[in-house]
Amino acid sequence: MGLEGEATDAEVVRAVLAGDVERYAVLVRRYRERYARYASRMLGSRDVAEDAVQDALVRAFDRLADCREPDKFAGWLFLILRNRCYAEQRRRQREGRPLDEADEMFAAPDRPDGAYEQVERTHALERALQHLTAEQREVFVLKHTEGLAYEEIAGVTGATVASLKMRMHRAYDRLRELMKEHLE
Amino acid sequence: MMGYHPLVKRLLDGELSLAELPPELRAEGEEALRLLGAVDRAPVALSPLLDERVMAAVRSHAASPAHRAWRWLNTPREVELRLRLRPWTVWAGALAAAAGLALLLGRPAPAPERGLATQVRVGLRDSVFVRFVLYAPGARRVAVAGTFNQWDRSAAPLVPAGTSGVWTTTLALPVGQHQYAFVVDGARWVVDPAAPAVDDGFGRRNSIVAVTAQGAHTL
Repeated sequence: MGLEGEATDAEVVRAVLAGDVERYAVLVRRYRERYARYASRMLGSRDVAEDAVQDALVRAFDRLADCREPDKFAGWLFLILRNRCYAEQRRRQREGRPLDEADEMFAAPDRPDGAYEQVERTHALERALQHLTAEQREVFVLKHTEGLAYEEIAGVTGATVASLKMRMHRAYDRLRELMKEHLE
Repeated sequence: MMGYHPLVKRLLDGELSLAELPPELRAEGEEALRLLGAVDRAPVALSPLLDERVMAAVRSHAASPAHRAWRWLNTPREVELRLRLRPWTVWAGALAAAAGLALLLGRPAPAPERGLATQVRVGLRDSVFVRFVLYAPGARRVAVAGTFNQWDRSAAPLVPAGTSGVWTTTLALPVGQHQYAFVVDGARWVVDPAAPAVDDGFGRRNSIVAVTAQGAHTL
């Protein structure tokens, strides 16, 4: 076994399953940031996203023996996190929590040009995303925030490219409506 | 405000450039690109304490009796076999195997990749021999992977029974409940059509077999 950075996911998964629980920290360090942005955009809150990422990592450990393809741990973990995000959204809907009041919106980072208008537009888009359906929001986030192609999104979500495009095109229309005053 | 023109949506999808839009749609296209310009792609920094919180939970779960029991059930063990063979038992065994194969081959033409429920052979104190059978004509290789071998696709290959399309292997499984699936040609996961299956929580199905000291049962 080489250094931590050289160990493949499959090697780490097998070591953990063989009883070396501490090796799981390698996977935690490797994937915590990678999926934080997806969860943040899906849930509209960095704090809620952090809880979701934490829960997903712990749940993945609990079910590690069910990971059929340890070399595809990343995709498997993504599915757990995705389920967690959807569950959180369903819980919010059941509780009738208004999305805008549910959580603080994370601040847009300071930009070198300091363009107030741009920062406002970014805030507005983050708020508007929370008014899409979960499926519309997900395809928008995966394509435009994470930079995945439709084919790649189909691979991780199980939806067809045609249905993903339909969701996305509805999302564009809805976002245009919601962002009207920020786009003109 | 109405929805975007279909060509503008293709612009947003990255399939067209602004210059490829008809002149009358350029303004709408520029507005649409302002929408994408508002997307925040900055990384999201999580608390540095998250790692420790996850690992604390992991250590706690790993130390729980339920987790230890689950690991014990899923840990492969060496099984010592002591066979006392007499000539008549060899002949009887060969006859039984031939009869079994004849039964398999004599079945009506099955659908592609037809499996058989796991079959029990011999019980030992904490392991039981379980036979896995899959009818997969045309397959180049077949293996069985499950919780008992950490879903390793190459750990338990099945052997073809001649050119009949029937693949079999016999494994010693520890007592407990196991989830498994067949792997055809190294890539395609196939549930055992002859065994019950459960959703693995991630959109796929796993077959299930319960192994007790008295034998294996499909649930």
